[in-house]
Amino acid sequence: MSVNQLSEDAFYNLIDDLNSKGTTVVAPVRNEVGMVQYEKVTSSKDNFAFDEVIGRYSPKDAFFPQHETVLRYREGENGVEVKAEEPEINDTVLLGIRPCDAAAMISLNKVFTWDYIDNLFTERRKKAVIISIACNEADESCYCTSVGFAPDGKEGSDLLFSKIKGGGYLAEALTDEGETFIANNSTCFSKKDKSVELEPIAEVTDLGVNIEHIKRWLDKKENFEHKVWDDLAAKCVGCGGCTFVCPTCHCFDLVDEPYGDQGKRVKNWDGCQFDHFTLHASGHNPREHQPQRWRNRFHCKFKIYPDRFEKKGCVGCGRCIRVCPVNLDITEAMIEITAMES
Amino acid sequence: MIESLRSKSKELLENGTVSLVIGYAEGSKKGKTKPFFAYSSEDCDKLTFSPQCVNNLTIYLTRKFTFMKKGKVAIVAKGCDVKTINVLIQENQLKRDDVIILGMSCDGVVGKDIVHDGEQLPDENKSIKCLTCDVKTPIDYDHLFGEEIKSEALEPMTGGIYDAVKEVKAMSWSDRWKYWMDHFERCIKCYACKKVCPLCYCDVCITEKSRPQWIETSAHARGNYAWNIKRAMDLAGRCTFCGECDRSCPAEIPLNIINQELAMTVYDSFENYTAGYQTDVTPPFVSFKEEDKEDFIK
Ligand code: SF4
Ligand code: SF4
Ligand code: SF4
Ligand code: SF4
Ligand code: SF4
Repeated sequence: MSVNQLSEDAFYNLIDDLNSKGTTVVAPVRNEVGMVQYEKVTSSKDNFAFDEVIGRYSPKDAFFPQHETVLRYREGENGVEVKAEEPEINDTVLLGIRPCDAAAMISLNKVFTWDYIDNLFTERRKKAVIISIACNEADESCYCTSVGFAPDGKEGSDLLFSKIKGGGYLAEALTDEGETFIANNSTCFSKKDKSVELEPIAEVTDLGVNIEHIKRWLDKKENFEHKVWDDLAAKCVGCGGCTFVCPTCHCFDLVDEPYGDQGKRVKNWDGCQFDHFTLHASGHNPREHQPQRWRNRFHCKFKIYPDRFEKKGCVGCGRCIRVCPVNLDITEAMIEITAMES
Repeated sequence: MIESLRSKSKELLENGTVSLVIGYAEGSKKGKTKPFFAYSSEDCDKLTFSPQCVNNLTIYLTRKFTFMKKGKVAIVAKGCDVKTINVLIQENQLKRDDVIILGMSCDGVVGKDIVHDGEQLPDENKSIKCLTCDVKTPIDYDHLFGEEIKSEALEPMTGGIYDAVKEVKAMSWSDRWKYWMDHFERCIKCYACKKVCPLCYCDVCITEKSRPQWIETSAHARGNYAWNIKRAMDLAGRCTFCGECDRSCPAEIPLNIINQELAMTVYDSFENYTAGYQTDVTPPFVSFKEEDKEDFIK
C-alpha cells in the first residue's frame, strides 16, 4: 500500500475538491455552542476542529443516523399501501475521525450484517471512505491502548493521516478503497518526502486491565449477581448519555408516526440504560433496577460483542466517561474485575 | 469541615440513626467528585466536600431510587439541594423525619466543564446558579458543616441567570423562536435532563406512553420541541434551580434559561412565589382559589 503526503493547503483543497465533485464530506467542526461534532462540511472555511482530542458524539451517525424513516404507509382504496424508504445515499468521506472510532465502525458493521442485513447501514458504509487522523493528544478519559487499539491504529480506516511536524499530513493507504481515493484525488497528494518527521503520537493512560480476564470473569454465571454491580452502579441515573455517545452502541427502536390516514415508520436510537427498554407488555421488567441495566451495558461491551459478533465492544474512546453526569466510570469496573480475576 | 462531616456520619451509622449516608467521594478524573453511598464507618472515610461537589444528591431520596434505601438516611446537602428537599416534602414525596440533612455551607461550585483545583473559586469558574445564591448557609439542616456564610442581600430575579433570561426575552418573537428552535434542534433525546432531575420522579414518564404517543420518540424538530417544552412546563413553579439538567445536557441546550424564565413568570404571576423556601404552603399549580383572577378556571 502506498504512502504519500499532503501539505496543509492541499488538505483543505481536498475538502473543496471533494465537495465540488458532489461527495459529502463529514469532518469535526466546532459548532455555535462550542461542541465538536462530526458534521457535513461544505467549504474549507468551515469551523474545523481537527486538533480536538475527539468529537463529543461518535461518527456512527453517518451510517446509523439517530433518526431515519424506514417506510411510509397510507390507507388507499385497496387497503394499506406500504412503500419502503429508499434514501439517496451519496459518496461520503469521513475526514479526520479518530482511530478508535474507525475501529468501532468494524464492530458496528458486524452487528448490522449479523443475521439481517441492514441495507440502510451497509449501503452508507459501502459508499464511504474513512480517513482517520492519528492522535497527537489524548485526554484523561482516552484508553484505547488498554483495549487493544492505538492512537495511530489502522483498524477500520481506509487511510490514516499522521500530522507532519511543521504542517501537512502523511497519508497512508490501508485498503484498496484508500488507494483508489488517492488515485482519484492525486492533485492533492505528493510523494512521501524522505526527511519527513511526524508529530509525536499521543501517550494514552494504561489502565493495566486485561479484557480477556474481564471476559472470563463475566462468563462465570455466579458473577451475574455479583455485588460489584450494585456497588458501582447504584448511583446511575439511567439516562441515555453513555449509550448515545458510544460508537459501538447500536440499539434502536422502530416506531410508527401516524398522521391521519398515513404515516411513517421510523428507526430511532434506543438504549439499554432506559428503564422501559426491557419493560414487557405484561408490566414485568427483567431488568428492574438500574445496576442491572448498567451490568447489561458492561456485558454488551466485554462479553456479548466478543461472543456473538467476534468483535470488540469497546474501543476505549472514553466518551461514556466524559458524558456521565454521576461520574460512573466504566474503567473503574474494568480495573476492579481484572483485579478479581487475576 | 470534611473531618467533622466524616465523624458525624460515622456516629449516625454506628448508633443506628441512619442506615446510609449519601454524600460525595473523590471522582475518577481530575476535578471530579462522584455521588457516594456510605454504609459503614470505613466508607465514611471516603466522604469529601469541595467546590467540585456539583451533583444534587437529593435525586437519591426520590422514589426513582427506592431499591437502595433501607430505613432512614442522611444526606450531604448544599443550600440549593436543601431547597429540593423542601419541594419533595411539599409534594408529599418525603417526610422531614425520613432524612437527616448534613447541611454544607457553600460559597459556590464549579460551572459546567470547568476543571478547578483548590478551594478558592473565582466567580468566573462558578456555576451560574451560585452567582445569585441566597442560601449559602442552607435554610434547613440537622447538622451544619463549615462556617456560616451570610448571603448578600440580593435584588430578586436580578443578575446571573435572570439577566440571561431577560436578554432572551428582549428578543423579537421570531428571533426568540429561532433561538429556541436552534437549541432544541441539537437535542439527542438522551433524557439526561429528566433523569438527573430530583423533581422528575414520576413512575411512568409521559415520554414512555405510546398509546397515544404524546411525545414522539424521534429526535426531529417536532419531537424535540414537544419534549423540551413539556419538561420545562412540568417544572414550572417547582424547579429550584439546582441546574442539574443544564449541567448534564450533552447537547449544551441552555435549560437553565428556560427553567428560570418559567420561574420568573411564576414569581410575577403568583405573588412572588419561589420554589424551595417553604414546605407548608401549597404550590401555585396545585392550589385552587375561588377568587382566582382568571375566568377560565372558575
Ligand atoms: S482513545 Fe485513543 S484513538 Fe481515541 S481519541 Fe483517545 S488517543 Fe485517540
Ligand atoms: S463503552 Fe465507552 S469507552 Fe467504550 S467505546 Fe463505548 S463510549 Fe467508548
Ligand atoms: S452510566 Fe452515566 S451516562 Fe450512563 S446511564 Fe448511567 S448516569 Fe447516564
Ligand atoms: S447555589 Fe449556593 S448553595 Fe448551591 S452550590 Fe451555589 S453557592 Fe452553593
Ligand atoms: S439532556 Fe439535553 S440532549 Fe438530552 S434529552 Fe435533555 S435536552 Fe435533550
